[in-house]
Amino acid sequence: MEQIGFGIISACLLGAALGVVTGKNLVHSVLWLAVTLVTTAALYVFLNATFLAGIQVILYTGGVITLMLFGVMLTRRDERVMVENEQNGRRLWIAALAALGLFALLAAATFKTPGLPRTQAEPTTTDAIGRAFLTEHLLAFEVLSLLLLAAMVGAIVLARRHDAGADARGGL
Amino acid sequence: MDAWLSNPFVHGLVYGVVVVTALMTVTAWSIWFERKFAGRMQSRTGPTLVGPYGLLQPLADALKLLQKEDIVPKDADRVLFNVAPPLTVLFALGAAAVVPWGPEQIAADLDVGVLFILAMGGMVVFPVWIAGWASNNKYALLGGMRSVAQGISYEIPLVMAALVPVVLCGSMSVSDIVRFQLEHGWLIYSAPVVGFLAFLLFFLASLAEANRIPFDIPEAESELVAGVTTEYTGMKFGLFYLAEYLHTLVISAVASALFLGGWGGIGGLAPGLHWMVLKTLLLFGAIFWIRWTLLRFRADQLMTLCWKYLVPGGLALVMAAAAWVHWGAFAGTTATPAPAPAEQGAR
Repeated sequence: MEQIGFGIISACLLGAALGVVTGKNLVHSVLWLAVTLVTTAALYVFLNATFLAGIQVILYTGGVITLMLFGVMLTRRDERVMVENEQNGRRLWIAALAALGLFALLAAATFKTPGLPRTQAEPTTTDAIGRAFLTEHLLAFEVLSLLLLAAMVGAIVLARRHDAGADARGGL
Repeated sequence: MDAWLSNPFVHGLVYGVVVVTALMTVTAWSIWFERKFAGRMQSRTGPTLVGPYGLLQPLADALKLLQKEDIVPKDADRVLFNVAPPLTVLFALGAAAVVPWGPEQIAADLDVGVLFILAMGGMVVFPVWIAGWASNNKYALLGGMRSVAQGISYEIPLVMAALVPVVLCGSMSVSDIVRFQLEHGWLIYSAPVVGFLAFLLFFLASLAEANRIPFDIPEAESELVAGVTTEYTGMKFGLFYLAEYLHTLVISAVASALFLGGWGGIGGLAPGLHWMVLKTLLLFGAIFWIRWTLLRFRADQLMTLCWKYLVPGGLALVMAAAAWVHWGAFAGTTATPAPAPAEQGAR
């Protein structure tokens, strides 16, 4: 039963990922990426990491993809709202080589890792994740928050530089 | 029979069918109720012709919508245009899966139920945006953009408000949160001020996410024609309409479970299910009341309210809730102050 479920979800994931790279329309690619991220979350559920799956959907699909859609719409001001994805022969080859290299690297790493668990992992509790964040990985966690703060300040500076009067007129 | 029902697939299927049917039925007649209610508020009578007191009006509306011509604009993105309406209904209904209607009546008792509800809420903006973009129409696109801006902004106070019960009860499972409230009293009063304010914040942010007045600028019929639904006809338009009401209904149910003690009633007068339904319907009615009382916000006022008042307020509430738990308000409960959920608020 689990095998079948895993097969279906993996097939969806691969199909959606193909949709991202082969799509001619940029907006379609972004939407396929959203499907990819949601199916990845489904895989996390299979790995008994439900918390991670929920966060994946909220942060990536709810946050990042929404921002990408926004970005696509705001940066290109075409006559028609269709945005084309550029494709040419040489780039295709470079991309294929890069993808193959990454695949080889990941495959090698996976096969070299000894003792991968063969049974389903114990469900991780939110409590354990929180404790790990605030004890073992405290430094990484704090650095990450600093990075996010820097990104936020940067975004505000960039947005303000071009259009100082935006606030007075009201954003959108 | 019991062994058969406890099979997760059968359980999910049975509860899915029952919950979806019930929600759809309530939604259909809530439109009748809203029209009557709005009519009375404006000294009109509302629908009276179809059936006694106009009770068959929802059926007539549905039949009318089904008979309309199905138009897809020539320059529209055909696939996305057709995919958007069913998706809105799907995401609006999604959160209902983890809402406990009674001690045993729950479709899927997830450990991370609150997270699931928030994830579904976050996805709701997608189909609306897709509809706006695929229509290839200026007004629809503007409506779609507004909906994305509003959705991602109000997602943040919504998450923070939902974190307050999670922090107070130390669990992300909706049914655990209700059980906690049965023991310690409804969160709206058992955690004074914090619980009540969190409830208000949750309610406001959910209204914004469901695009209800006073937060319905993505639709804003008087300035954007009809926003994202401009190009839609017949039942596809009907699905958007349905999804909006469904979302509001599901939100009322979630708010009742998280803050109003779920299936807990007063003095055991009736089985839990009745109380849960009663609370949900009362909140649902309150939303109609707000809709016919208030006006629509301007887009910039909406953003100001969210970023300058609700987000800082939400942060303060999460911290207050954490402090409340840390200094042992609910005596005799688990000593773990649930550090992980508090993290999320910081992201």
